[in-house]
Amino acid sequence: MMPPAQPLAQPSPAAEGVAVLDDPLEQGRFTRWVAGPGGERWAESSLQLAGLHCAACSGIIEQALGRVAGVHMARVSAAAERATVCWDPDLTRPSALIAAVRRAGYDAVPDAAAPARALRLQLQRQALWRLFVAGFCAMQVMMFATPSYVAAAGELSDEMRRLLNWGAWMLTLPVMAFSATPYFAGAWRALRTRTIGMDVPVALGIAITFIASTGATFEPDGIFGHEVYFDSLTMFVTFLLGARWLELRSRQHAAETLERALARLPETAWRVAADGGVSAVSVQRLHVGDQVRVPLGQAFPADGVLEQGDTQADESLLTGESAPVPKRMGDSVVAGSSNVGAPVLVRVLRVGGDTRLETIVSMMRSALTQRPAAARVADRWAAPFLWAVLLLAAGAAAVWSVIDPSRAVWVAVSVLIVTCPCALSLAAPATLVAAARGLARRGVLLQRLDAIEVLATAQHIFLDKTGTLTEDRLQCSAVLLTPGAVAQGYTEASVQALAASLASWSTHPASRAVADLQPGQTDSGDWQQVHEVPGQGLGAQDAEGRAWRLGQAHWAGAQAPLPAGAQTPLRAGAQAPLPAGAQAPLPADARLVLSCDGRLLAGFVLEEVLRPGAEQAVQALQRDGVTLRLVTGDTAERARQLADRVGIVNVLAAATPEAKLAALIELQRQGHKVVMVGDGVNDAPVLARADASLAMGQGALVSRCHADAVITSSRLLDLVSARRTAQRALAIVRQNFIWAGTYNAVCIPLALVGWLPPWAAGLGMALSSLLVVANALRAGR
Amino acid sequence: MSNSAVMASPAGAKVDADQASVAAAPGGYYTDQAVRLFALAAILWGVVGMLVGVIIASQLTWPELNFGIPWLSYGRLRPLHTNAVIFAFGGCALMATSFHVVQRTCQTRLFAPGLAMFVFWGWQLVIVAAAISLPLGMTQGKEYAELEWPIDLLIAVVWVSYAIVFFGTVGIRKVRHIYVANWFFGAFILAVALLHIVNSAAIPVSLTKSYSAYAGVQDAMIQWWYGHNAVGFFLTAGFLGMMYYYIPKQAERPVYSYRLSIVHFWALIFTYMWAGPHHLHYTALPDWAQSVGMVFSLVLLAPSWGGMINGIMTLSGAWHKLRDDPILKFLIVSLSFYGMSTFEGPMMSIKTVNALSHYTDWTVGHVHSGALGWVGLISMGSLYYLIPRMFGRTTMFSVRAIELHFWIATIGIVLYIAAMWIAGVMQGLMWRAVNPDGTLVYTFVESVKATFPYYAVRLLGGVLYLSGMLIMAWNVVMTVKSGKAVDSPIPMPAPAHA
Amino acid sequence: MESLYVLIPLSALLVLAILGVFGWAVHKGQFEDIEAEGQRILTDEAPAVDADQDP
Repeated sequence: MMPPAQPLAQPSPAAEGVAVLDDPLEQGRFTRWVAGPGGERWAESSLQLAGLHCAACSGIIEQALGRVAGVHMARVSAAAERATVCWDPDLTRPSALIAAVRRAGYDAVPDAAAPARALRLQLQRQALWRLFVAGFCAMQVMMFATPSYVAAAGELSDEMRRLLNWGAWMLTLPVMAFSATPYFAGAWRALRTRTIGMDVPVALGIAITFIASTGATFEPDGIFGHEVYFDSLTMFVTFLLGARWLELRSRQHAAETLERALARLPETAWRVAADGGVSAVSVQRLHVGDQVRVPLGQAFPADGVLEQGDTQADESLLTGESAPVPKRMGDSVVAGSSNVGAPVLVRVLRVGGDTRLETIVSMMRSALTQRPAAARVADRWAAPFLWAVLLLAAGAAAVWSVIDPSRAVWVAVSVLIVTCPCALSLAAPATLVAAARGLARRGVLLQRLDAIEVLATAQHIFLDKTGTLTEDRLQCSAVLLTPGAVAQGYTEASVQALAASLASWSTHPASRAVADLQPGQTDSGDWQQVHEVPGQGLGAQDAEGRAWRLGQAHWAGAQAPLPAGAQTPLRAGAQAPLPAGAQAPLPADARLVLSCDGRLLAGFVLEEVLRPGAEQAVQALQRDGVTLRLVTGDTAERARQLADRVGIVNVLAAATPEAKLAALIELQRQGHKVVMVGDGVNDAPVLARADASLAMGQGALVSRCHADAVITSSRLLDLVSARRTAQRALAIVRQNFIWAGTYNAVCIPLALVGWLPPWAAGLGMALSSLLVVANALRAGR
Repeated sequence: MSNSAVMASPAGAKVDADQASVAAAPGGYYTDQAVRLFALAAILWGVVGMLVGVIIASQLTWPELNFGIPWLSYGRLRPLHTNAVIFAFGGCALMATSFHVVQRTCQTRLFAPGLAMFVFWGWQLVIVAAAISLPLGMTQGKEYAELEWPIDLLIAVVWVSYAIVFFGTVGIRKVRHIYVANWFFGAFILAVALLHIVNSAAIPVSLTKSYSAYAGVQDAMIQWWYGHNAVGFFLTAGFLGMMYYYIPKQAERPVYSYRLSIVHFWALIFTYMWAGPHHLHYTALPDWAQSVGMVFSLVLLAPSWGGMINGIMTLSGAWHKLRDDPILKFLIVSLSFYGMSTFEGPMMSIKTVNALSHYTDWTVGHVHSGALGWVGLISMGSLYYLIPRMFGRTTMFSVRAIELHFWIATIGIVLYIAAMWIAGVMQGLMWRAVNPDGTLVYTFVESVKATFPYYAVRLLGGVLYLSGMLIMAWNVVMTVKSGKAVDSPIPMPAPAHA
Repeated sequence: MESLYVLIPLSALLVLAILGVFGWAVHKGQFEDIEAEGQRILTDEAPAVDADQDP
């Protein structure tokens, strides 16, 4: 055990976090190197901005950045709330840039998602260009085709007709060679893997139309007849691309919103220097052999060995096992797992590996690319459906080649085009992605698209208490000295100072409430051998070797410490009998007590703060027919009090994580779908098991990782609106499926009978897809 | 760059020329000499062109005013009028404003300012050559493309230089984004180059005479492919570029929807190429070609109105400015005439409507609602914004004169087009009136006599419009005399060229 | 309608040129963050040269 020789300065998160940006290693995530006009080496950084509220804001920020010495160029994108700054590394640093933005009244964080966004931008631009080429050429081809439509019989000479068709053919080439290539590529991929994707009939239809029309252009007396359909072809491709472009934009907006919400200061580790000083460094700066301090609730920044303190680690992100693993001094810890027991010191053995930010971001991204259950169902039916379509088209061609050979090809083409299940495949994903974006705008970040369906239909919601219904902080409303303390000369102020400095070592809500008694105090006191016993409190030795305790009454007043690793959660207000030797009784609602060498000195009355909007949210949910249950590890009395305040009838109090899990499983066994809303370290296993889970934005990292959605705004009313959005989305998905199905059912017979010329088939199919996508976009509002 | 070279020395100037240019300008100065010259030339040629217009309007009313003198005959003066108002007045206004706007929106001086001066003098030479050759009867006989081949060659050279200066300036811009007005100007410049070269292809037989490379109805098709695209790109796209800059600047508000302005641009480019045949309804042009022209003229309505709405709605939330600001009146009212013309045009391109209107004065009325209402007013408004700033002022010498000009001009326009509508419909009805036995009811000369009063009213309208222009000329002279030709500094660029 | 032998190939070439220009514009980011660009022309003015004249 190596206790720090000097008092540890409490690091100030804001300033330290910004300074970390100047670390070149950290910069690499949001900065790239470009060549200045004279060949000198300049840096180009991407910053995510906050606080833009008006049209002039971007100009103000550009000017503020421009005034920083060493900045060559600053460009702000108002729509994306992003700044690109070109600066001279010899003259300035990223922290100076952020400081300039803050001085102007806004805020900025590094934009680590820049590479992903650059890729998205590329895709977007290419898609727009393809769409424009298709649309522009379609318009011109339409002009060339109009004479054929309006000319009376014999008015248009053959040479003129050929000239016009040739012109139309010329202008269809860019559409075939450039705009339509995604469909050909997709069809080729599908064929290579011997599946039938949606692209196959589309590609077939386009190709056959083009080949037949080309034949009709250059050999009007040949087998393809003399009708050309370049106008239908180009229009068809235009509408297809239009629908695809809308969907692409929708996805990209969702990704943007997510990334913006995730933008934050980089991961920091608190490195302990040889002289005991603690400094905040970028996680990427750690070396083997460093000693780091890992607070409760943070992730271990590197693989290492525990050097001071005992704790538990949540390694579920790595092993899937959600039960915390006890770690004693000398045990090894794994980078990325969460410290859920007590603050500890760790000696680094191995560094590297992805940071938590990358993990979450990649989880988010994978959520968006997942095919939701509804779409997977559609996919299963797509293959047999498409086989049927191909057979139908071939059959129609065969039949018509007997009845009227000149129409055989065109009927087959019409059948191929009109049966395109594009609408069917788009129906679900487009809607859910749009809904995800709408949810993100309202402060609920979706990590798994399927959660929308559960959120809409589930009738049972479990609500955690502390940190979910209530704000994750407590307030210390009173400090009560025991007569003994007064006799020893302690005053309220001195007791507060002592308690606050000790409490600052823990991030537990109760401790934070006590620490807040001395807000802004940076001196965390002369404490040594600080250890936190989950469920009981903090203990430490002072400079004179006395044993201090801040925590539960019966634990603090006890002579001997309880064994480390006790799992019982903090119980509030328990009327435990005072151990022998206690000086005087304390008021019953004192939740934390401060003791020195077993003698009680003071009690701290703590109060929970109900989240604003909690009552309305509960009422709204119950009006919607949802059964709410309050689940908490807190005592029945406190739980009941709070439940009455908000209006919840079902309460499961004094529940261990196992008990919460059991209650959840019981309901699921009965066939119900259950949604869990929680935040604490103890909720992780339940969140993982629930049909849909939401974590509060300020909750522990491990909960946020496991949840299907994160309520970043931490407002419970957003849960209500999220549910309503989800329901609307499901209704829209249903509408889309019905429409797509009806359209196919009606148009296929028409095409078979020959009443649907290719241009009408193309128009109908494209409009149908557009309709589906447009309808889907409503889900985002 | 000599700032005070051509300009009148300021009468009551209180500021030393040197002192004014000493103002710190780390970003350099804009090169506005060509802008200044073109702006003043626009005023001059506006007066000249409108004066010729009044003359020929008088001649139509009182043919005696031909005096039997060939150089003063209507047939020769009419193309002088059209060339003067379109290419001299409109052309100089476009060149002045495009050079002004491209510099301000790209935050750089002109590329090759010397070449810009060549463009100016070259263009003036073209105008003077036109003013001499047209009354002398030297013409290719193609409407709005009458100038003979040597002048056509000169136009091509000047135009290429114009393109080099304009696109060169865009190329050296300090702002990454190319403002939408520059897209309109650029399209105008390129389209006019293409149209001019194709349509003016001719076989010269002497220095002053050539024959079109095309003949008969083929020539007609190409001529009106040119003619309507000249309207579309010279008279529409170019002046829309003006509109998209000067309205926001004068109103001090951004364009209502910048996104719409970009869509407007591309939609216009989409559809303009094939509207030409609507000039050739019921001619030897094949029916199907006429139909194509009709269809796409109708399609053109949408993008045109999109632009109009975008421009007018820029004032949304600030309509009160219209009350006190006569320059805004010019700019916004010009847009309503633009909307009216772009509605009337498609209507007139419908074959059945055209059967009535073709060859009547309704066509003249339509042209002039677009020319006087849209092109004229937007140019005047833009020049009223531009000219004081070219001479170190923020306002014209007399704002009341601007107001007066506006009202006189507007009344003139209304008189003009109302007279022409009535005359045109009347002519069309008279010409097609048939007796039960199939003979015409009216002789042609009867319709001419019936038109007389409307010609008189139209003349009055034109005189009013010319008077307004004279007021503007006076105002400009007073502004220049009391101003100082100083170039403005270029603001320090915040965003660098990326 | 022989003039179309000139006009149609001409317009086909023109279309290809226009597509090229649009592609250039898209890849140069001309169509991104548009509304701010509409605002930009109003803010970028250096103070007008003051010739200190009579109104």
